[in-house]
Amino acid sequence: MIMKDSERTEYFDRNAIEISKKYKGKIQTLPKVPIKGMEDFSSLYTPGIAAVSKKIEADKELAYELTGKWNSVAILTDGTRVLGIGNVGPDAAIPVMEGKALLFNYLGGVNAIPIPLIVKDNDEFIAAAKAIQPYFGGYNLEDIQSPRCFFLLESLQKSMEIPVWHDDQLGTASIILAGAINALKLVNKKKEEAKIVFNGAGAANIAAIYLFEAAGFKKENIVAIDSKGIIEPSRADIDALMFKNPWKYKIALETNGERLNGDPANAFKGADLVVSASVSIPGTIKNEWVKSMNRDPTIFALANPLPEIWPEEAKKSGARIVATGRGDFPNQINNSMVFPGVFRGVLDARSKGVNFQIMVAASQAIADFVENPSEDHIVPSMEDFELFPRVASVVARKCVESGLARKSDSTEGFYRTASDIISKNRNIYNKLFDM
Amino acid sequence: MINLVNIRLMEKKDIDSVMEQLLRLKHLNEEFDPLLKVSVGNEKEISEKLSRIIEDKENHIGLVAEDGKRLVGMIMSDVIFRIYYDPKYEARIREFYVIPEYRGKGVGMKLLDKLRELAAERSIKMITAEFPSLNLIASKFYESIDFKELIKIYSKIN
Repeated sequence: MIMKDSERTEYFDRNAIEISKKYKGKIQTLPKVPIKGMEDFSSLYTPGIAAVSKKIEADKELAYELTGKWNSVAILTDGTRVLGIGNVGPDAAIPVMEGKALLFNYLGGVNAIPIPLIVKDNDEFIAAAKAIQPYFGGYNLEDIQSPRCFFLLESLQKSMEIPVWHDDQLGTASIILAGAINALKLVNKKKEEAKIVFNGAGAANIAAIYLFEAAGFKKENIVAIDSKGIIEPSRADIDALMFKNPWKYKIALETNGERLNGDPANAFKGADLVVSASVSIPGTIKNEWVKSMNRDPTIFALANPLPEIWPEEAKKSGARIVATGRGDFPNQINNSMVFPGVFRGVLDARSKGVNFQIMVAASQAIADFVENPSEDHIVPSMEDFELFPRVASVVARKCVESGLARKSDSTEGFYRTASDIISKNRNIYNKLFDM
Repeated sequence: MINLVNIRLMEKKDIDSVMEQLLRLKHLNEEFDPLLKVSVGNEKEISEKLSRIIEDKENHIGLVAEDGKRLVGMIMSDVIFRIYYDPKYEARIREFYVIPEYRGKGVGMKLLDKLRELAAERSIKMITAEFPSLNLIASKFYESIDFKELIKIYSKIN
């Protein structure tokens, strides 16, 4: 199995380089308006366009109605934690950001623009992000190291009038929650009673813990584990977290009501769900740990490319439901199921922000999209394109209900808008590539 | 939780818990500044020093916060005679620690208030606090209760 993976990896590597050499970039600017000749530019550009500028000068909000701002998203990165390859810098992050921009467009009909930044600290990042805001209806932070990503997300969410999202945290957390909702439903367990273990305390799992809390799970029943073992407040390294990583510090104080400590095995005992984003080596989660869990346990082994335990092994040890980060096993937990719909939704509502309540609604919509959940089908598949307008409409409506929307509509109305934008955008692809 | 926390004078039976908290505090300082590298294997000396400090009530005021039998915080100060200045005496806080679970709940203020009260009884009119320059948690705390920076210590290792 490992051999097959490495062969496949080599193939994708080669192919990616060939495509990049051939096309020299994956996205480009295309017109939205018909142009017959230079005379059209008298209205598209000067002198006519000054009249539009004057209108926006009088009312800044009109930029949403008279320009492409409403559908434009900046993908901001400092390149400090790119995919699994680490701190490669903003230049080397470009190909990844272009790929993300393409996904944004292909799945959500969003015009996303890669903005890799040369910044030396948090303040510079925030200053740069704020400076380029006028053209954008939303920000997606991407591939930024932890805990910087928490600080940037929190500061920008507080200080900006547009939604700011960090996909590695929020997208992943939302799809984990969606999977957890259906997994617990399948085995008849209540969220208020479920004991959840988060194995690994990186950005995604930390965000997921906050999201689970917002969704009604009990903090006391949540246990987090990092490389030093079970997280609990009396651990000597917790003091320093207070200033190094206040988000993880808060988790250390507020979760783990039983005050379990030490080896991960102690946390697995009696747990209903394990969400693992840990070391990508099968066997990181031991069979005995799975055996010690509560009845009908669920394991999310999300490390990529290799899960912390192979699904087959987990099932042999009694796991009822297993999810991974991979597309070649059932139940792929993939943040690409979340961000296109979420952004379509916040953009269609011209939202001023995004928050955990909106994310809970998105996760619930993703869970509900699976009509008859089964052990091998707790989350939608990547081919379910219908998912995105559905999520978008729920998200947009939730923005209205939270008082964040600049534009109001019913869920059905937002659904029609999203569906229309995404399908018209697909038509562009069909025309461009003669499909 | 805070209502159940009791503040009392430090006693010899507290030495083990106090030492554990002191070492956590020193390791936290080490995180802030590599110049404050914590040495290892000094438990015996620390224990003896604590024992002397607890006995010497003339020159030291040490308090602990306890929740039931559990020690959740402590404050230790030296009484200093100010030969050149008025007021003539100050109580200088040298060690101050509250365990993470009990932070942000007023335990630190309770310890500090009790110290002020005991100092006032002895006509000690000034409270000062000594802590590493880079300890942002401490500087934020003292600034929030109107303490002003008074003395700086610079260092260079030869």
